[in-house]
Amino acid sequence: MKAILHILEHDLRNFFRYKWWLVGLISMNLADLFIMAIVYNRMISSDVAKQITSYFNFFAPGLTVTGLFASAFMIGREINMERRREIHHYMLSLPMTRLELAIGRVLSGGLRGMIYMSPLLLTCFVFLGFPTVAQLLIILIVLFFLAIGISGLSIAIAVSTSSLEKFITARGLVYYTLFFCSSVFYPLSLIQDLGREGKFPAILVNLAEINPLSNASDMIRSFLLGTPPFSPNMILSVIVFSTIFTLVAAFAYIEIIERT
Amino acid sequence: MRAIWFVSQIALFGLIASRMMSVPNYFQYYVAGLSVMTLYSAAIFIGFDIYEEAEHGVFEYLLSLPVSRRQLVLGRSIGGGLRSFIYVGPLIGVSLYVIGAINPLNFLVALFALFLFSFGVSGMSITIAVMIKSSDRFDIFMGVLDALIVRLSTAMYPLAIVQSANPLYGGVASFNPITFAADLFRWGTGLETIITLDNPLIPLLGVIAFFAVFTFVGVIIYEKHIEGGGWQ
Repeated sequence: MKAILHILEHDLRNFFRYKWWLVGLISMNLADLFIMAIVYNRMISSDVAKQITSYFNFFAPGLTVTGLFASAFMIGREINMERRREIHHYMLSLPMTRLELAIGRVLSGGLRGMIYMSPLLLTCFVFLGFPTVAQLLIILIVLFFLAIGISGLSIAIAVSTSSLEKFITARGLVYYTLFFCSSVFYPLSLIQDLGREGKFPAILVNLAEINPLSNASDMIRSFLLGTPPFSPNMILSVIVFSTIFTLVAAFAYIEIIERT
Repeated sequence: MRAIWFVSQIALFGLIASRMMSVPNYFQYYVAGLSVMTLYSAAIFIGFDIYEEAEHGVFEYLLSLPVSRRQLVLGRSIGGGLRSFIYVGPLIGVSLYVIGAINPLNFLVALFALFLFSFGVSGMSITIAVMIKSSDRFDIFMGVLDALIVRLSTAMYPLAIVQSANPLYGGVASFNPITFAADLFRWGTGLETIITLDNPLIPLLGVIAFFAVFTFVGVIIYEKHIEGGGWQ
């Protein structure tokens, strides 16, 4: 346990070294909310307006989840860099088990995501209204699971790619597929309608439905806006995603990092 | 990476978001704006090259070449603009295919404006890179600038809607070089019914002014900052 705490401390210190970078990233996220979402408010069709009322309100929870995703994914870039510069040999020489090292890295990625996401979630509460204590707890727990899953996914990609270019390309593919095939930017019903009309591949419609980013955004919306209706599947999807990628990341980290 | 971003923006975001909007032909509108956004972000990259050259000692080599400082910065901004144009060219081709209609004469004017726009963005990137002197700060600054300059433009939404959403946003968007370039590109491709561009001469003059200011301001700042290791 102590070893895991050391890893958490190491990664959190690294995270705060980029504080100005984080300020820049948060300001970009806020520009999305306070400029793009406000203008989109004026552009949405009457059919969509009936579903979501206001694009600003609809987008705020989605933005929180995208912020969480981007920051939790940052751990992968560091691990990829450690691998390329062979710093992982030093990490492997530390007096801790491989499992502690791997769990520490996954957890720290998740924690970093939660720290970064906090001001965005608070902004969301300020404009959309505060949830009840029970709802707040559920939101925080689900987002923490999501952050761990994303961190695991990022670590799995980082240790499986040998160069920064390959990592960045793989990250781009994952980012854009998960972001755009989700209900972060638009209601899920639009993607489902396109699928029914044969204008969107069924596999991408299914991905959007089980996408943890969709489910986490919709869960926050269901608590703060009352729509879409809450479903336990929203939580289940995030937990399944998190469990799979935490295990995959731990396994990949231990196996691949020892081999290289 | 940028190609993945471009294609996913068209095939996923553009396609789905256009279903959400009341603006007619929003998909084509968005694809045209996306081409200009991509051109902008590709032209910005010359600034990062300046830091890399400084780090590897290439800067001293460039300064020792038998060319004036003025020629050097002018060559760099035109080179940066051309490079980004070549890079983004196939993506613009994809967007033309998606948009469909094209007016050849207007399109040539729009293409000329896009060239000037990319040279201007390269000049701006070089100017800011030489002034900031830290690659980390440059990265952050350009990220924030990108967020503001793209969102406060007509790359993603028509000017009338930006103005009705917030007059301040509308004011900034009216004088934004991305607005000028995006509106001219749409005019050149025959999408002017959506953009209600009264007079294409105004954005064209705007792009020329943007190019001139950043190229010549860039020359002056570059000259002032690089002598005697001042860029370090």
